[in-house]
Amino acid sequence: MEKYLRCVLFLTLSLLLLLPAAAFCQGSQGSIKVGIILPATGEKAKFGEIEKKSFEMALEEINAAGGVNGKKLEFLYEDDTGRPDVARSAAEKLITQDQVAMLGGGYGSSETFAIAGVAQQNRVPFLVNTGSDNKITEMKWNYIFRLNQPVSDYPQGLESFMTDIVKPKTVAILYENTNFGSSGSKEFQETCKKMNLKVVLNEGYQSGGIDFKPILVKVKQENPDIVYMISYLMDASLIMKQSMELRLTPKMFVGGGAGFTLPEFAQNAGKAANMVFSATLWYQTLPYPGAKEYYDKFVARNKMPTEYHGAEAYSSAYVIADALKRAKSTSPDDVRESLAGTDLMTVFGPVKFIAYENMTNQNKLPTYLVQWIDGKLELVWPKQTASKPYVYPVDWEKAWK
Amino acid sequence: MEVFIQTLVAGILIGGVYALIGLGMTLIMGVMRIINLAHGQLMMVAMYITFLLYEYLGLDPYYALLIAPPALFVLGVAIQKYLLNPLLEVDSIIPQNQILMTVGIGMVLTETMRFIFHSDYKSVKTSYSSATFMIGSICWNVPMVVAFGLAVLLTACLFLFLLKTDTGKSVRATAQNKDAALIMGINAEWITQLTYGLGAAMAAAGGTLLLPIYYLFPDVGAPFTLKAFIITVLGGMGSTVGAILGGLVLGVAESLGATYISMALKDAVGMVIFVLVLLFLPGGLKTLTKV
Repeated sequence: MEKYLRCVLFLTLSLLLLLPAAAFCQGSQGSIKVGIILPATGEKAKFGEIEKKSFEMALEEINAAGGVNGKKLEFLYEDDTGRPDVARSAAEKLITQDQVAMLGGGYGSSETFAIAGVAQQNRVPFLVNTGSDNKITEMKWNYIFRLNQPVSDYPQGLESFMTDIVKPKTVAILYENTNFGSSGSKEFQETCKKMNLKVVLNEGYQSGGIDFKPILVKVKQENPDIVYMISYLMDASLIMKQSMELRLTPKMFVGGGAGFTLPEFAQNAGKAANMVFSATLWYQTLPYPGAKEYYDKFVARNKMPTEYHGAEAYSSAYVIADALKRAKSTSPDDVRESLAGTDLMTVFGPVKFIAYENMTNQNKLPTYLVQWIDGKLELVWPKQTASKPYVYPVDWEKAWK
Repeated sequence: MEVFIQTLVAGILIGGVYALIGLGMTLIMGVMRIINLAHGQLMMVAMYITFLLYEYLGLDPYYALLIAPPALFVLGVAIQKYLLNPLLEVDSIIPQNQILMTVGIGMVLTETMRFIFHSDYKSVKTSYSSATFMIGSICWNVPMVVAFGLAVLLTACLFLFLLKTDTGKSVRATAQNKDAALIMGINAEWITQLTYGLGAAMAAAGGTLLLPIYYLFPDVGAPFTLKAFIITVLGGMGSTVGAILGGLVLGVAESLGATYISMALKDAVGMVIFVLVLLFLPGGLKTLTKV
């Protein structure tokens, strides 16, 4: 009798021990894990926030529509704090510890490059959606894919505007001395050479400066037709504010994306933001299916506007889900193969990974020109997709009043 | 020439504010012999106070000078009393555990602010934020000039306090020789609290003066901690006169470096001077002033 009781006790205990384990296995079998690395803290956290909210929104929609072949899709977020070394260890953790099927996200170029290196080494696919330094897809890394346009394509929309409307002769370039900034400046110099523009000044600066007057005075002395700036948010605001103070009046101020399209740019720069042009990668009125709906839904949900970074993240989630759906299994190699065969229409535009110029696995999309007109960001070029006619030439004294 | 003068002006103006922030750290260094690595973060807290007063009560940032520095004084006294002084009584492997504590305090302050305000960038847009006037062809930014003026005024007040009042003399006495000061009946514990509070208040004043020109987010403190550290070392580890010179030197060097070398190397210029001073003038700039 005692032996029997002991046996029962043993069985019950072992069952009790096994149950949670079984339940846990079920849980992890029922979902597919994808690692998303974004800046949640640090100076780039603002962008990370917009992207994370977009990822979450897309994820809910994807799972509500049945997930990935009946399995739930799960995003594991890691914070890269805007530092490449942290990004690297975040990628390592996601790959080795969480054993994710693939990686997504990647905000700053330097961080993205670090993550890409780890992903390629471990042979785990990584879909980049924001990091735009050309070199990320120029390494012939077959596990790295990029949804967004590389930084060399940023001024494409601007180029045609310059040749058709402005016809400038001289350009000054100011850039942040990071991967993103110096790569952007190099590419823009190439563009200028192609268009026979004289680059009168090409100056890097350290992000986070208080006083940009020293370089702005130099720009003023050269009196260029166009001032092209590659800057993040607050540097962008300060540069514009101080340009206004110095009454620096070129024909055009153009931002090379990043900081210049965020709503916070206009909030912080105030009237100095008025009439500033910027290259952009996306705008909500573009004729892509779902673009406007995404924008409206985001605004309604988060009570804040979104812009191209959010659209990139939102589309990236759909590309990830699509690739996982078509993959034979969730093994990295099958996912890689299926990603390579992507042909999907997203709110950000059509996504197809091709090789062009020196890049591989790179999606090719046009870029656009936006302008801040009386506190609102409007798409002004190309003309056929414009949401408002451009203001040019600009009367700076009036714009800055 | 015009570029040179404009650069010099910009450097001196920002140097004045740097000096104010650096002075706070120098004071703490002088009395407690510790580097306060939470200095920039304390400044950040003051900037948030100023920002809140402006945003919700519509109070001009300059009036916040009457609120933010006293608030930070209280916070500073509390930090010294409850977090730093108790460490003196604990045996530890390294004697510098107070410095490590300041690093922790800085992190806690940063993350607390991030928790409350998120990582959003904030700025104060006053009517005069972008106001300028021209003397000849040199452009003067009004809030920058005001910041410099007030920084000079506050520094003068600090000197008056240190040189003329009994409490100020006690602070200097403690800095010169703590044991002797104790024997002379100075309440050294209260002096350390007072000094940390004063240091925090100086940083707060610097932050408040910067807000109309600069912007604010939870990580804004760290670079200023570094700047204050450079200034403290430049000035000669605890010399107040040295710190003022150090602030001005750093401001002008950064500015000149930005114009004539490259703005990309702005911070490097400061660090190079830092290394040069350590190598060739180990006592800091105070050895040049004999004060």
